[in-house]
Amino acid sequence: MKLISIVTQSRAGVTAEIAALLGENDINIESLDAEEANGTDVVTLSVDHYNRALQVLRDAGWNAVSEDAMLIRVRDEPGALARVAKQFLDAGITVHSIRIVQRGSDWGVIAVSADPIEKARELVTDNLLAESGE
Amino acid sequence: MPGVLSPEDAVRLDAFHEMIHEQTQVFAGYPVTANFDYHDLFRFLDYPLNNIGDPFDPCTYHLHTREFEREVLDWFAELQAAPEGDWWGYVTNGGTEGNLYGLYLARELYPNGMVYFSQDTHYSVSKNLRLLRMPHIMIKSQPTGEMDLEDLEESIRIHRDVPPIIFANIGTTMREGVDDIPAIQEMLKNLAIPQSYIHADAALCGMTLPFIDGAPEFNFSTGIQSMSISGHKLIGSPLPCGVVLALKPHVDRIARSIEYVGTLDTTITGSRNAITPLMLWYAIRQRGKEGFRAIVAECLACAEYAVEQLNAIGVKAWRNPHAITVVLPKPSSFVLDKWQLAVQEEIAHIMVMPHVDRDRIDRIVADIAANPV
Repeated sequence: MKLISIVTQSRAGVTAEIAALLGENDINIESLDAEEANGTDVVTLSVDHYNRALQVLRDAGWNAVSEDAMLIRVRDEPGALARVAKQFLDAGITVHSIRIVQRGSDWGVIAVSADPIEKARELVTDNLLAESGE
Repeated sequence: MPGVLSPEDAVRLDAFHEMIHEQTQVFAGYPVTANFDYHDLFRFLDYPLNNIGDPFDPCTYHLHTREFEREVLDWFAELQAAPEGDWWGYVTNGGTEGNLYGLYLARELYPNGMVYFSQDTHYSVSKNLRLLRMPHIMIKSQPTGEMDLEDLEESIRIHRDVPPIIFANIGTTMREGVDDIPAIQEMLKNLAIPQSYIHADAALCGMTLPFIDGAPEFNFSTGIQSMSISGHKLIGSPLPCGVVLALKPHVDRIARSIEYVGTLDTTITGSRNAITPLMLWYAIRQRGKEGFRAIVAECLACAEYAVEQLNAIGVKAWRNPHAITVVLPKPSSFVLDKWQLAVQEEIAHIMVMPHVDRDRIDRIVADIAANPV
């Protein structure tokens, strides 16, 4: 089951907005989980029409993360992403991409695509926010 | 024998033409120009023209416009200070292809390199990096859209064991921020990085900044290795197109790597559009550098006018120095839809291209004032 993670600044009504948007587009939400950390909301959901849901969410301006990626919280400071990449590379994990999904005042959320994913998750357990993928 | 379109299909085409004509009167959100007239070239649409392969190599297929293509490339090479006799290029299908080509050259030169690109980079770059399977790290952007050099420096320092391949934006998508290439070069020197590659994505600003006094430096004189520029943005074309320029030794490397197929085919696609080089040639010959200088000056003046008019109605609009992109808080969905404005999170932008004159700006501002969020 593929999951979609949506990252946004914390505010009231986020999950309701997402649910309404998907409902308007005839997309059923099969599961939904939301967590808040340092001013950032991460909503993780599974739907019946995965690709269409991604398209709908992105067209509406949501930061929807689709690939087999981990969402990690990092301090918003110079070299933060590079340090994460180095940590993985030193552990023999191939990093396919690291990208910024959300930036706050002190913290940011990044999406990391790495292989093998299980080993990568173990390295960053403390800062793991959500993960998508089978 | 050519076929005949059914009456229903003919009606449908006419309706589509009418819709496109109407929509062209009210778009202001994308960096494309509607001011062009290539009627003189329509006669060439009767022929199966194809600029297949390398524009500088002979071709047994005679129905091509490679001579015009080479003149277009010469013009851009001079404009971008490419080293005489040591550059190569071709007319592409657009900026994405040009960027793909630049990254491809970088990968062949530094197979274990790490690509650095900013948060404000066009989405197509991530796609290109996945196609090429190049490892990459995103670098933070400043509020102006420019790459955060402190983050870049620290990131390169952490990964100094691999050559950095820097994807520099010369005009980011939403804010038209310009990455500081001279500062990046200085950083690489201070870090004593022996090998590096810089590709400049100058899709829009490759045709604005060269005509603005005091604009940021970004061309080959700054030490870049390749550059991509769009043809359908400031110049204007009914068909998406662009130009990629690169230092010749890098191109020669990939040419050798595919010699086994019996041709030195150095372009991404084999068959290539022969009409777009003709259009670019036509536009360049018609206007020349002074013509483009005047066009860019008018765009800048109109962009400043747009900022003033929006600020006057209480909208916090702004633009970067030397930019024709006006950034504003996301207006109402009515305004976004009518004027086809691009949005990213809570901001939108008005692209003051040559067809976006003061009259059009006044109408946009009036709609924003009449339709609050």
